[in-house]
Amino acid sequence: MNSSSPQPVVVARDLTRRFGPFVAVDKVSFEVPPGEIFGFLGSNGAGKTTTIRMLCGLLAPTSGSASVLGLDVASQAQEIKRRIGYMSQRFSLYNDLTVEENLRFWGGAYGLFGSAMADRTEWAIATAGLHERRRTLVRSLPGGFRQRLALVAALLHEPPVVFLDEPTGGVDPEARRRFWDLIDDLASSGKTVFVTTHYMDEAERCHRVALMHAGRLLALDSVPDLKRVFPLGTIVEVACSRPAQAMAKLERIPGVSEVALFGNGLHVVISRPELAATLERSLAAAGCEDATVRAITPSLEDVFIRVIAGAEGEAA
Amino acid sequence: MLRRTLAIAVKELLQLRRDPRTTLALFGMPIVMLLIYGYALSFDVQHIRLAVVDQDGTRAAREVAQAFLESGYFDLVSRGRDPRVLDPLFDSGRAQAALVIPERYGDDMAARRPTTLQFVLDGSDSQTATTILGYARQIIASISPVIRTSTRNAAVVPVSLVWYNPDLSSARFLVPGLLAFILMVTSVIATALAVVREKERGTMESLRATPLVALELLIGKTLPYLLLASGAATGALVIARFLFDVHVRGSLLWLAFVTLLFLAVSLGWGILVSTVAETQQVAFQLGLLTSMLPTFILSGFIFPISSMPPALQVITHIVPARYFLVALRAIILKGAGPEVWWNQAMGLLIYGTIVMAIATARTVRSL
Amino acid sequence: MGGRNQRSGAGAFVRAVFNILIKELLQLKRDPKIVPILFTAPVIQLTLLGYAATTDIKRVELAVCDLDRTTASRQLVDRFTSSTYFRVTANVDSQDQFNPLLQSGRARVALTIPVGFEADRSGGRPGRVQLVADGADAMSGTIGLAYAATVLQDTAVAAGAIPLVNLRPTVLYNPDLVSKNYMVPGILGLIVMIMTMMLTAMAVVRESELGTMEQLLVTPLTPGQLIIGKLIPYALVGLAEIFTVLPVVLFWFKVPLRGSFLTLMLLTLPYMLCTLGLGLFISTLAQTQQQAMMLSAFVFILPQMLLSGFAFPIQNMPAFFRVLTYLVPLRYYLVILRGVFLKGVGFAVLWPQALALIVFGVAILGFARLRFRRRLG
Repeated sequence: MNSSSPQPVVVARDLTRRFGPFVAVDKVSFEVPPGEIFGFLGSNGAGKTTTIRMLCGLLAPTSGSASVLGLDVASQAQEIKRRIGYMSQRFSLYNDLTVEENLRFWGGAYGLFGSAMADRTEWAIATAGLHERRRTLVRSLPGGFRQRLALVAALLHEPPVVFLDEPTGGVDPEARRRFWDLIDDLASSGKTVFVTTHYMDEAERCHRVALMHAGRLLALDSVPDLKRVFPLGTIVEVACSRPAQAMAKLERIPGVSEVALFGNGLHVVISRPELAATLERSLAAAGCEDATVRAITPSLEDVFIRVIAGAEGEAA
Repeated sequence: MLRRTLAIAVKELLQLRRDPRTTLALFGMPIVMLLIYGYALSFDVQHIRLAVVDQDGTRAAREVAQAFLESGYFDLVSRGRDPRVLDPLFDSGRAQAALVIPERYGDDMAARRPTTLQFVLDGSDSQTATTILGYARQIIASISPVIRTSTRNAAVVPVSLVWYNPDLSSARFLVPGLLAFILMVTSVIATALAVVREKERGTMESLRATPLVALELLIGKTLPYLLLASGAATGALVIARFLFDVHVRGSLLWLAFVTLLFLAVSLGWGILVSTVAETQQVAFQLGLLTSMLPTFILSGFIFPISSMPPALQVITHIVPARYFLVALRAIILKGAGPEVWWNQAMGLLIYGTIVMAIATARTVRSL
Repeated sequence: MGGRNQRSGAGAFVRAVFNILIKELLQLKRDPKIVPILFTAPVIQLTLLGYAATTDIKRVELAVCDLDRTTASRQLVDRFTSSTYFRVTANVDSQDQFNPLLQSGRARVALTIPVGFEADRSGGRPGRVQLVADGADAMSGTIGLAYAATVLQDTAVAAGAIPLVNLRPTVLYNPDLVSKNYMVPGILGLIVMIMTMMLTAMAVVRESELGTMEQLLVTPLTPGQLIIGKLIPYALVGLAEIFTVLPVVLFWFKVPLRGSFLTLMLLTLPYMLCTLGLGLFISTLAQTQQQAMMLSAFVFILPQMLLSGFAFPIQNMPAFFRVLTYLVPLRYYLVILRGVFLKGVGFAVLWPQALALIVFGVAILGFARLRFRRRLG
């Protein structure tokens, strides 16, 4: 073992899970070093939740292997559970208990008691900003607070690695941002955060992102490296009042490899950056006088679409 | 209007065909339950655990004990001289009854002096105890000659006849009740589930209704279940005849009439439940609650209504099975014609009309 | 990571169970349906059932047809009228009128005193009467005839005909032969069973329904700890129910409690083991709380009501069913209840029942726990 680089916290090797004939997770392999925010990106049904459940010892793999903190998920699940934190996709705190009662219960579930329990409960309340609401029933908490509470509840026993499954579902963007500030704090204090999401903007805040689709791991890299799938300048944004018409025109221009509707406009992938200038002229000639073209930094969504298209192209 | 009703009924029938589980449940459950409980449940007391304390030891004493054992009702669990064994035997339940024959029994018998046997009973289950006591008295009366103390013969000898059920088999009493119970429960639940299933699927909403259409809908929906339940009822009666020896003394036609009436009322009740329940689960629960418990306790199925306090007797009028049971027993066991049970049928009719009216009103309001 | 976690030891186990226990109790406390379910409903059920479940046949409806119309016959009729066993509902002129009366249930027993009754007796011959009983209602029929026989015998004795052999009955435990003393404790057992079983099943299923189950599973809590922690509150609930309902039994229905209250509570615990185990078992079968409720009612409660000796005596059942009832936990608990209330016996007599319940309870819990683990993973 290399003594200078630290042991990976999570390791998966050809991890597979089948439900009857359906393959939910297909030979997924990766390693997560300590202190990293590792993002698992994919649409619903891509296999993210199943993967996380296997890593947490909730589900046994059909084949392949995985380990967390050096412990095998198939045979040492109980040991793993003691050392990890987990936030499930469904909100899973007790609605009919107060903030304090929930914290004390979940802390107790991890074996905390006495002064340790008291300290960690205070920490949790402070971190989540729930001072005034410590005696409020959880069902009366506003959405953003509930997510933060669930997060700190998973951290009461100070686990070195924490698994978050779509932690910001149904929460407004401001609350999501604040939530991710907490995640950043965790990582900078040395904790490893394994998070699944289908929000691209959240994935951008991860150190590395794994793209999952239909159970397979299609790409795994840091965010900037992922974006290099598009050579510089080859992706442009077209804004105009009639996107559909523009799209039809653009698709017929040689050198344009992909056109996709994106928000109110279009993202266009071109083979050479120089083509960008000619596009405006072509569009104006076609009747979209107000069309503007400018080069943009690819977003993860663009990367995702490209990668998936590539994978499906291979499969076809 | 008739055509529309039939159309709905046919659709429901087809849906039923594709749902074999409900059909099986509706048809099969009554029969299975009848088989199980028809065999298991009985008021005929047998295997009475008898202890004999014979403090006399003469042949006369042995004959008395023998009379008890030969009657077929009693099983011997202990025989001895010492009455002190009785307390622990009764406490542990090993003995239910004890015959204590006093010391000079044989002498008294020979000298024709009146003598008394003691009969100890576990009175916990009063119904069984009363029956046991009755048996004991009968047995003693049959072996005991009467001493006359005057020339006038004071004895009164009864000739006893039992009508309708000469061998007093409790199956004849229980099976009709069981039938009513099972029919009620399954009809109510099946109907409630069926209607609520429609609600869940959202197909009810597509009807903008006038009261007439709502009625058609309700009747059309219940028709197939009426058919199924009638089939189940017939099957149950056949089983009752061949397995439990319950013959229908009265007219089959009247039996069919009263049964159909009752089924219609149960189905109506099921519909009423469905107008209250939003999901199938709640429909099931509510149906079960309002049909099973009241029918079990208050219909006269097990506990005779005439034994209940007057206030409770009044309450039993809200249990449809109550009317049905009286008429059912009258027709099956006593061969009674409508002049005897017309008021029960009337009760069912009125009950059914009220239930249907409320159900229709509620359905209209919800559409 | 916090070294405060003790990995082993009874202390950690007890703390874990206690933690879950507290949570369950807090949730119970906050449930708005709790008071009606725990307290009002059982009291109402007991009262209703207690009154309805009477099998005492009193004041049997009697129709009389006196064809003799002599002093002696009228005296005999008086004896029946004044007896507490009967209630004369009809006085008819001919036997033909019996049929509609018996068919409609207006009379359950019909007495005919034929012409020549008094003449016979004065002439040294026994007087003859005819009794007809409605056998369709088997209980009233038999009992009606037995009552009539008693009245006739009293008549004979009063007039000087003494049987050689008399029977003196001594009724133990329930001298007035009132059925409520037998039924009401049984109802208590029924209510405890229904409550603990259903509530436990629903409580466990609720965790799955709400999604907290998954979160529980990812903690180091073992299924054993979870189960014990969830069952103890409902055992307490069951005991609380007995407390609530007991005053109604003792003071309203005036059922005697001849044994000790402590014995009653202690012997309830093995029974509780069974019902809680059944509740847990049901929770492994049901996906939703409503399903849990229906399953409990139809598959577990109804058969126990009918086959436990609650309303229908076990000794009357055919051999196959008698053997089957050994599998019904309520059967044993009914023996315990009736033993403690009416017979005043205790552990020394009832230990076989307690043992059976313990064996059962452990088996059911073990089985339920196995299913529990299998469902989780």
